[in-house]
Amino acid sequence: MNPARRSFLKTTGALGALALAGRARPAAAESNTPTAAPPRGLPANWRTLRKLDAHNHVFGLAHRPNADWAEVERLVAAAGKLGIDKLYCSRPVTAGVMANIELVRESNDAVLAAMKRYPQRIGGYCFVQPGNGAAALDEIDRCVDAGMVGVKLYNQFKYSDPAVFPIAEKCIARRIVFLGHSAYLTDPRTLALQPKTSNALDFGALSRRYPELMLVLGHINGGGDWEWAIRALRDFPNVYLDTSGSVLEDDAIGRCVRELGHRRVLFATDSTMEGCVGKVLAADLSPEQREDIFWRNYQRLLDRRTA
Amino acid sequence: MIFDVNAHVGHYPFRSLRARTAAEVVALLDRHGIDRALVSSLHAVFYRDAHRGNEELWAEVQPWPKRLVPVATVNPKYAGWERDFATITGEWKARAVTLVPEHHGYTLDDESGRAALTKIEAAGVPLLLTQRLEDRRQRHAWDRAEDLTVASLFAAAKAFPTLRFILSNWAGLDGAKLADAGLRGRVLIDFARLQVVYREEVPKLIAALGVEALAFGSHLPFDYVAGSLIKLENLDFLSPADRERVAWRNAVRFLGLEEKQ
Repeated sequence: MNPARRSFLKTTGALGALALAGRARPAAAESNTPTAAPPRGLPANWRTLRKLDAHNHVFGLAHRPNADWAEVERLVAAAGKLGIDKLYCSRPVTAGVMANIELVRESNDAVLAAMKRYPQRIGGYCFVQPGNGAAALDEIDRCVDAGMVGVKLYNQFKYSDPAVFPIAEKCIARRIVFLGHSAYLTDPRTLALQPKTSNALDFGALSRRYPELMLVLGHINGGGDWEWAIRALRDFPNVYLDTSGSVLEDDAIGRCVRELGHRRVLFATDSTMEGCVGKVLAADLSPEQREDIFWRNYQRLLDRRTA
Repeated sequence: MIFDVNAHVGHYPFRSLRARTAAEVVALLDRHGIDRALVSSLHAVFYRDAHRGNEELWAEVQPWPKRLVPVATVNPKYAGWERDFATITGEWKARAVTLVPEHHGYTLDDESGRAALTKIEAAGVPLLLTQRLEDRRQRHAWDRAEDLTVASLFAAAKAFPTLRFILSNWAGLDGAKLADAGLRGRVLIDFARLQVVYREEVPKLIAALGVEALAFGSHLPFDYVAGSLIKLENLDFLSPADRERVAWRNAVRFLGLEEKQ
């Protein structure tokens, strides 16, 4: 256990005691009084439950000389506070840009710099665009050889597009995860800005073609109709999903587990760190299911690289 | 003690909610160790006659006067709204009033909006403004409501200089700009969509507006509650007294409720 985790546990214990003292009250005798049981609020050990964040980002250009590390440092500090052991990060080129390979490499260099500075806390995905052709495949090799665990694709191409197939084949060959930005957008204005965002059926099409691909539908709650996405994924048993996103709607996690099985569900935050830890804690799960979602399911994918 | 200032009762037309009745909301509060909540009526948002939703809400929360504090919804475009407003603030002693201009078809700065804001300011009750009920990227085809904008908030704050605001389910708030708009001391912001760690929006708002400007909020039953409980625990940089203010004392004071707990 590292020193940061030890001091963190001390704080948690103190806060837990404070919370209990503040909330102690006699058992309910009338409808205006909260009932005493079952246990209320957060589980006492929530900070120390092991967690691997399967979808996060570093946003700055940390590899440049005299780079500002403040954002990465806040990310790492937040992970420590929330008991997230490791954050698997990428730095996609967004806003509809089809970037040249130099810009793509620079984005990945920023992630590699963060991995180097915080090797215990930050892992990496290689951002690539299928449109960069053979250079994209070379970039995957470069990044994986440097320690990254997967690729991250954004919305430059739909994943059912044949241009994506060489990337999928490279992932299979290197035994790495393919994490894809996703949404089923029902808002016409948002859809117009991201016309090539893949929805669950696009993931399904790719999975049908490559059933052995470790394919992860990114941020089930990242904006878009998540209920639609879950229903669509029922027909594609080889697609995993991650729990991240700024939408924290009740029962999203429970619905994933009931309809898809908890083994397909991977904890992630995509920068909404407190809220996304909270929704896995609040969901109706057994302790074993919660542990699987928080880290074990993702660890199983990572272990396949060396199997 | 925790007081949730961002909670709702009723059916939502575009998604199934697991806690819809007041009894179910109280059970949800119990499950999460939340003692009290400021609750708005979802029916009042979607009924043509919003006041019928208020009547339902007041009747429904009656068994839980120490747990649920009802907020009245006013629709200034509907016939007889001034009389309803007088009932709400007089006979019913509402602790807060909410406007939902995006759902009721007006803006805060048009004739209807200004009329409502004038009445609310004169009555001295806080105005609760919910920036959004759900993310528009997943909207139902019949859901045309946009998020309330910071610009519309600032315009209302400047035009009605003694009006007090409860900002529920907001993101994108800049503390310095809120202070420039004259909102220091006149605003209570819940942290349901704000972060304590990483983006550090809550500490920044506290630095700009004082700890009295922040309150616990979860946006239940739309959202999972535990994220807000985590945020409260993460406020460990505050003194225990200040953390208690965010947890409940600020809400109680802003709403003019009994502080003794």
